[in-house]
Amino acid sequence: MKLDVKALGTFYRIAREGAGLAAGRLTQMTGVETQVGITKLNFMRGAEIRQDFEDGREKVGVRVELSGGLDGHSVIVFDRESARSIVETLIADDESEELDEMARSATTEVGHIINSGFVDGWADVLETVIDVSTPEFVTGVTVDPFFGDLEGAVDDDDLALLFQSQIDAVGTEIGFRHYLFPEHDSMAGLLERLRTSEGIEYDKLDGFDRLAKQGAREVAKTATTLTGIETSVEIRRLNFVSLEVIPEEVSNERLVGVAFEFDGTPSGYLLFLFDEESATEIVNAMVPTGTSGDGFDEMGKSAITELGNIMASGFLDGWANVLDTTIDHSPPEFIHDIGPAVIDPVVIQLGENQDFAFVFDTLVVADGREFDCEIYAIPDEEDLERALNDLEVDRVAETPTTAEFDEIEDA
Amino acid sequence: MKTYGTEPGAPDPVQVGIAELVVTEGQDTLRSYGLGSCLAVALYDPGTEIGGLAHVMLPNGDEADNSDEKPGKYADTAIRALLRRMVERGANYTDVEAKIAGGSDMFDFKSFGDGVGQRNVTAAREELEKLGVPLVAEDVGGERGRTVEFTPGTGTLIVKSGNGEDGVKEL
Repeated sequence: MKLDVKALGTFYRIAREGAGLAAGRLTQMTGVETQVGITKLNFMRGAEIRQDFEDGREKVGVRVELSGGLDGHSVIVFDRESARSIVETLIADDESEELDEMARSATTEVGHIINSGFVDGWADVLETVIDVSTPEFVTGVTVDPFFGDLEGAVDDDDLALLFQSQIDAVGTEIGFRHYLFPEHDSMAGLLERLRTSEGIEYDKLDGFDRLAKQGAREVAKTATTLTGIETSVEIRRLNFVSLEVIPEEVSNERLVGVAFEFDGTPSGYLLFLFDEESATEIVNAMVPTGTSGDGFDEMGKSAITELGNIMASGFLDGWANVLDTTIDHSPPEFIHDIGPAVIDPVVIQLGENQDFAFVFDTLVVADGREFDCEIYAIPDEEDLERALNDLEVDRVAETPTTAEFDEIEDA
Repeated sequence: MKTYGTEPGAPDPVQVGIAELVVTEGQDTLRSYGLGSCLAVALYDPGTEIGGLAHVMLPNGDEADNSDEKPGKYADTAIRALLRRMVERGANYTDVEAKIAGGSDMFDFKSFGDGVGQRNVTAAREELEKLGVPLVAEDVGGERGRTVEFTPGTGTLIVKSGNGEDGVKEL
């Protein structure tokens, strides 16, 4: 299967439209105002979906099987408290803590209406008919009851194309996520229909994902060497999002960051963002005298900047190595400002030529210490497409460093 | 029937996200977080107390395909959309005034050319000039982020500095 940015953009718009329809119907039904949050298209491995999903909280889901214009599964997942709140808006005198038969059927009904909202959004845009099965109520803490038995969607090593939307009710605790798992063949057919350019082999995207992993490993290794703090890669995602979404995802707190532009195949931007506590911890680990007060003095700034610089080289060398190309990066730029303000210049620059972006989103953390580093690598779209097409899939497997990392990846 | 979305008149400030615009009136407060090179454009009519805020991302919407869909994304189309919606709501075109904040250039990257923030500021000034809307106050440029809060009733645009050093300004 081949995909191109145009087709993915269409998918993205459909997902957002579906979220709007679903939110509207939830409001109609419960009388609660709702807001559509972030919509994302992820390329995720089963293992990552599992990690993302398993937050130890009990969840309630409603899932349906889709067939016709699109084959796959659509699943609405509520936190248990959200499900309870919804039930309360529907059944005024229901005060039992357990989800009894009546509560289950109310939840199922709501979930089904939301699912249908999403599916109708897809059917409208694709101008096709999508059949929806009878809804199934699922509950549990882990991913298994929800997606475990879905065909092809969540094998640990398979890269699944996943649509995620968040809808929140204003002024309440009600929120839910929507997952759409299209079946491979069905998705391939749709991509083929919507594709207007030469496009990217889907398998190459898989290879690119693996090399991004290598970049992330390099960063964690460098950070450990330089700071003496034991670090590991916590989250690693390849997202396809509308550019405006990127600043919304970044924390509204003040962050400390180091930013780069890189040039080659691909070119783009790379940002390392730390919360203030983590940055302070790092400075203390790198500068023997520590920081004075809450600000970052010249010494602190140069320590963070140096760390960023070496991490950037590691990250981009990881990419260049697999792509068999050269990627140069600019001198580091230190920044200490509110999260969205740090990243919007990059989004704006890319926005001159593209509406969407692939974002390599990585979180590096330390055990038992404050060290949270968010890494955003946002390549120029055309460059990325070219880089992917130049990539020989076999080469990814041959690259020796991959083998080295195999034993520790996602352990 | 209520529709989804934020209802005007809510007590909390209404968030105006990147590429969005919101028109309201009176003491409602509109807020945009963390503008870096993005630009906040606030328009208001002091007489009717009708006003709006746009969180602009790019300078030129007339050259883009999707500016109908997302007028708030571009300086020129955002200003026109704000004006139109305000007038539809009862504002007097000739009384409308403008304030802008943001448009910093935090990075000195080669690919950024003259500066992405500066391009937004220039585009907004030009569009306001073209439409005959006086620009009465601005806090633009520099190398820091800003969070803004706008209340149409008073026309006050509060600008909080993101770097923690330049404090709060009232325009």
